[in-house]
This record gives sequence, C-alpha cells and structure tokens, in this order.
Amino acid sequence: MVDPQTAFPVVISSLLAEVAGTSAQAATGPSAASAITSPVSPGAVVALCIVAGLATWLMLPGKREIAIRRVGAVILTAAALISAALLMRWTAAQGGMGAYFWIFSAIALVSSIRVITHTKPVYSALYFVLTVFATAGLFVLMWAEFMAAALVLIYAGAILITYVFVIMLASEAAAIGAGDNPAGTIPPEQDGISRSPLLASAVGFVLAGLLVYLILDKRNEIHRDVPHAATVAIVNQSGDTAHGDKAPGDTGHREELASAPALGKELVENHSINLQLSAILLTLAMVGAITLARRRVIVSEQDRLASVETVVVPGTPTDDNPHSILVYGTTNPRHKAYPEN
Amino acid sequence: MPDVFTNIALQHYLIVGALMFAIGMIGFMCRRNLIVMFLCSELMLQGVAINFIAFGAFWGKLSGQAFVIFILAIAAAEAALALAIIVLLFRQKHTVDSQAFRELRG
Repeated sequence: MVDPQTAFPVVISSLLAEVAGTSAQAATGPSAASAITSPVSPGAVVALCIVAGLATWLMLPGKREIAIRRVGAVILTAAALISAALLMRWTAAQGGMGAYFWIFSAIALVSSIRVITHTKPVYSALYFVLTVFATAGLFVLMWAEFMAAALVLIYAGAILITYVFVIMLASEAAAIGAGDNPAGTIPPEQDGISRSPLLASAVGFVLAGLLVYLILDKRNEIHRDVPHAATVAIVNQSGDTAHGDKAPGDTGHREELASAPALGKELVENHSINLQLSAILLTLAMVGAITLARRRVIVSEQDRLASVETVVVPGTPTDDNPHSILVYGTTNPRHKAYPEN
Repeated sequence: MPDVFTNIALQHYLIVGALMFAIGMIGFMCRRNLIVMFLCSELMLQGVAINFIAFGAFWGKLSGQAFVIFILAIAAAEAALALAIIVLLFRQKHTVDSQAFRELRG
C-alpha cells in the first residue's frame, strides 16, 4: 500500500512520463508499487480527469457556439466510456457488478451533467428528477428499498415541485422585466453565461480525481480499521475476510436491510434524539419559510382610517360586560379605550 | 446482481457518489441562476446519500439509511428556506442572477 506521502510523486511522475510520450511500460515503471494494489493506474486517473474537466468546461454554458458544446459532450462521453471500461475490466475478474448498476449509474451521472449544463432551469429541474429516479434504482440495488421510495416521494414529489413552481414564478416575471430577447432563443444572461467555468471544472475534477484515486487505492484498508466489536463478530461469522473480498452482507442482513420496520426500530431506538431534532427543524423551516415569503402590505395611517367603515351601529350589549359592546372605527377618543376587536 | 455486497461493489458505489458530488460542486460554483445553484446543492446531497447507503449495505447496518432520512429532512428544510429567500430576493431586483446581488459581499 502506498502511503500518501509517496503517492503524489508517483502520480506526478507517471503523468509526466505519459505526457513525455514514453512507453506505457516506462509509465508504469515508477508506479509499480501502486499498480499492484490499484486497479487503475494513477496516471490514467489524472489524464481522464483532465480530459473530463476540459470537456465539462466546453459544455458549460457560455459565449460559445453550440457545436463546441457538442464537441465537449462527445469528449466527455468518451472519457466516461473509457473510465467505465477500465472499471469493468477490473471487476470482470471478481465477478462483475451486474448490468443494472452500470445502467443506473450512467443515467444518474449523465443527467446530473445535464443539470449543470442546461441553459433552461426547468429542464435542469427535470433532469434532476431523472437523477433522483436513477439514484433510487441504485438504492434498490443496495437493498434500501424503503429509502428508494422515500427518495422518490420526497425529492421528486415534494422538493422538485417546489423548485419548478419557483422557477416558473421567477422566470416569467424575469422575461417581462428583461424584454430584450423577444426571440426567446437566447437564454437570459444568468443562465446563458457561466461564472468562471474553467476554474470551477478544474477544482471539481481535481476533487473528483483525488476521491476516485483514494477510493481505489485504500480499498483494502476498510476492513482493517474495525474497532467495533459487533462488526468484528459479524465479520467473523460471515467467514474469511482477510483479503477484504467478502462483506458482512449475507442473506439475513439483506432481509433486515430491506425491511422498513427494522429501519423504524433503528430510528427510534438509536437515533431518537436526531429524529426529534429533525422534526423540530422541519417545523422551524416551515414557520421560517412562511414568515420570510409573506408579502408585507404597508398601508399608511390615512388609508387605513379611510378604509374603515365609519357608520356606527349602536352597540347592543349582550350582557353587563362593557367589553362586549362592539365599536366600529370611531374616532371618538373616549371609545379608544375599548379593545377594537 | 451479486448476492454479497463485496468490497468491489462498495468501491463502485463510492465512485458514483464522489462523481455526483463533484458534478454538483462544479454546478454550484459556475452557475449564476440562484435556483439552479440550489439544485446543484441537492445534487451534492444525493452523492453523500449514495455513500451513506453504500456503507450501510456494506456493513449490514441500518445506520446508513437512518442518516439518509436525516439528509432528506435537512434537504426539505433547506429547499423551503432557500426558495423563500430566493422569492424575497426576486422581489427586490426582479432577477435571480446571483451577480445582481454583488453588494451583499462583505
């Protein structure tokens, strides 16, 4: 296992070797120590991330022709296919991942790319709905069936409807306010022109490359740091886990993972404080949203007095309580002592 | 679909979650429409949720799913408050461009 202090020179040297045009054998030469443990060489990860970052930069909305954005889409698709092929070649020896994983993750990632590159916010929201559905499919593959249903209900059903409402409210009035693109083909400026797209895609794909490299590099260390006694017992029960190939997800755990009653029990027993805190949070968010978005109507004192009806019906006391006498909008200061409601 | 959630499968799901988080971060940094920026933050939350579910399935524990429930609650609260604030800002300047609110910078 390569420790982080030496991993970075290995990455950079192998990248430089590939850039310099040396043979693949020379490129894997300095990184031979990590080539054993890492299925994808660090140079390949870095190169793919650079290509994908450039393609994303081309695809982001800006002052470019639509043909250039399509070129970016083609390059990004090629990079994604190459990385998927590398991962597939690695997993083919260990039994593969199944077709459903590849389909759902491809839909999720492609539609999330479309969320950030589409120039119309409504289409971004609809592609986000597609991402939510694909993520729910991934959840089902991980035996979290109740969470998949909850994700579709809450995200696609509640949150995205709110987003679409606000998008339509805001963009309709924006078109009236702007008024300088009657053709409708040119998107408004805040959607059509990105803010420093090169820097954003560079930072994003540096982060993505680091995460992917770390995930692939540290994959055998997950089983080793297990201080939890119960987990160790589960690991021992499920057989040999010395090489980190087997996970404690046998059939009994799968049935427990997929059951909603077990999840409810887990929530109430182990996370009860968090559950009540999230209830308080939701209530406060509702109150806050109503308070924030309420439209305050400011009426001057003259208008308010003028709008109040001034005809006074003689108050008919229903009992001896003087406060039960109704007083309507009088200006007599003696009557001001009464509560007006 | 394999019967056992292997270490390899965990890596794949973590990679998908990491990529989704990175894509959401790119969108949050470079888009200028406030509504799309918050959509991208929801995208980042989904990447994190994939990681939670994957680790939960890997260990055979339900804590991952429990934390995803809290993520959903926080996402709902954030969407309600953020959209209320966006509506307020839209009433001020009649735009949802984040560049129009530059004077908010300290």
